[in-house]
Amino acid sequence: MTGKEILLDAIQGKITERPAWMPFVGCHGGFLVGRTAKEYLQSAELIVEGLLKAKSLYKPDGMPVMFDLQIEAEILGCNLHWADEVPPAVTSHPLAMGKKIVDLPELDETKGRFPIIVQALETLKKEIGQDTALYGLVCGPFTLALHLLGNNIFLDMYDNEDAVLEVINYCADICIKSADIYLDHGADVIAVVDPMTSQISPEHFEQFVTPAMNRVFDHIRSRGGISSIFVCGDVTRNLEVMTKTTADNISVDEQVDMAHLRELCEAQGKSFGGNIKLTAVLLLGDANDARMEVLDIMEKSGRKGFILAPGCDLPYAVPSKNLQAVAEMVHDEYAREAAKSLSAKADDSFDDVELPDYLGARAVVVDVITLDSTSCAPCQYMMEAVEKAADAAMVKVWINEHKIKVREGIGVMMKLGVKNLPTICINGEPTFASIIPDQTTLVKAIEKAAIEKMSI
Amino acid sequence: MARNEALFEAVIKGKRPDVTAIVQQEVDKGTNVAEILMESMIPAMAEIGERFSRNEAYVPEMLIAARAMQAGLDILDPLLAAAGHEPLGKVAIGTVKGDLHDIGKNLVAMMLKGAGFEVMDLGVDCDVDKYKDAVASGAQAVLLSALLTTTMPYMKEIVEGLKGSGAKVLIGGAPVTKEYADGIGADGYADDANTAVKATKAALGLAA
Repeated sequence: MTGKEILLDAIQGKITERPAWMPFVGCHGGFLVGRTAKEYLQSAELIVEGLLKAKSLYKPDGMPVMFDLQIEAEILGCNLHWADEVPPAVTSHPLAMGKKIVDLPELDETKGRFPIIVQALETLKKEIGQDTALYGLVCGPFTLALHLLGNNIFLDMYDNEDAVLEVINYCADICIKSADIYLDHGADVIAVVDPMTSQISPEHFEQFVTPAMNRVFDHIRSRGGISSIFVCGDVTRNLEVMTKTTADNISVDEQVDMAHLRELCEAQGKSFGGNIKLTAVLLLGDANDARMEVLDIMEKSGRKGFILAPGCDLPYAVPSKNLQAVAEMVHDEYAREAAKSLSAKADDSFDDVELPDYLGARAVVVDVITLDSTSCAPCQYMMEAVEKAADAAMVKVWINEHKIKVREGIGVMMKLGVKNLPTICINGEPTFASIIPDQTTLVKAIEKAAIEKMSI
Repeated sequence: MARNEALFEAVIKGKRPDVTAIVQQEVDKGTNVAEILMESMIPAMAEIGERFSRNEAYVPEMLIAARAMQAGLDILDPLLAAAGHEPLGKVAIGTVKGDLHDIGKNLVAMMLKGAGFEVMDLGVDCDVDKYKDAVASGAQAVLLSALLTTTMPYMKEIVEGLKGSGAKVLIGGAPVTKEYADGIGADGYADDANTAVKATKAALGLAA
């Protein structure tokens, strides 16, 4: 089964063999290819290059072609302020400056940056479309209305309801046009991204947003497409009204409790996704923080209709190793097992677990950290490789297997700083993680360790 | 004067014409202007702030309440000044360099104003010199706002830049956390516009 099939199964509410994985690579793609967000988000070539790099690094099942909620606003006449490490910000609001809806330019695939999107989408479709679901992101009707009206929209929701409804309704027409462009060129999923709805009440959501969004979702469905509603920000209070829209999938940010969302989505027959913390974990944390966070989200979310994703657009400079750690948790069940064991014993300092006496031993000490070599195939092969290498080596070797199914094994794993399963440590140093080295390499590493030890 | 319930409710519900009418009536009756402010209007803004923190009020509700409050202040401000009424303190607020997202900053500014502070709104995209100028103009506390993870690190430079100035520095915004605030040595942190008022009072040693 390809990753794309897993993601499409998940988004349609099916149980999947592993979690589907959808990193929202937006301007982070620019970081991956050493270019600014400004350059990246205006070049089909760079977008393709960035997403191909992300594909090889993060092994995703799906990715957005473009993550920039200002695409439609720019075409409709909003001015943009560009920056090096974030998507552009809207700085002018045409409908607050005397223009009427009829004055706004038409939107079609020849306008603004849509030619870039179309070119990138078509190239990516050929390059990675077989096994990667490509998302078309459209700016949701409420956020687009805010781009056009400015902050006045909030007061107008009280002072001039009909005028606000008219603008939001127009914005839904624009969303439909954007969605059509993506669908015409082969996007697999349309995500309607509407972060500003996190700032209004459920009552206002139902009054102003639900009817407009449902028109968009129903249109996507009528074309045989799949839709997602995606809101960055704290939408805890709006989750229920979001799950009552006609979207197929709900994607949420880090503040939402996934167990609660899961319950609501199950009741409405929808799939859901989220919600790895962007700043505390992905940007400022380390790979281990990422593993623990992902484990927690996976446990709360289950395997039915769930897509693992960051809470929102990935920050520009997220360290790749953190996202690679997420990918490892997605694809490697032993990584998940290791994380589970570590998390269960997080409060244990393992003071009573002693490491072998590496200096005193008159041999090279090889510790192999495994799940359990009788039930985990890679662990078994790694143990066999170590035993063979020990026989072949010119020096004396002591081999210990530490199974993390027992507390002593977890203690050794933590004390040696091992993060992956299985791992070979030589004289207390993690030397080969996950990948089983060939015989020659392993023998050489053991003999080298013996020479180092004798020279101390 | 005890709380004028009609005025209190009119501010909370954002009924601007009602606020104007009731405040004018009270002024005409000769009610102490500071009491109108302190007993009815400021508590109303505090209440809407609490509701915001509890996710019972949202941005539109806050904005119409603040607008109604302002309508009352337009009548009261000259009278308060004439009566020698002092603001709670003087504070400055702005979004940090590179950040143009000002909805959160505006809400905090309104709540501070609604709590009785004199607020210097420095606008968006403020560098460290802008905050320094504000302190030179008498701001006892500066509040920094950032929505973006990429602009947030600049807060540290501002905290460093204002060391020794005597002004308190408070930070907030979507990606900002208490840990981050402690890490960069800020004097206060708030996760929404309501707690921003409390944190500012605490940093300045004012009663809650």
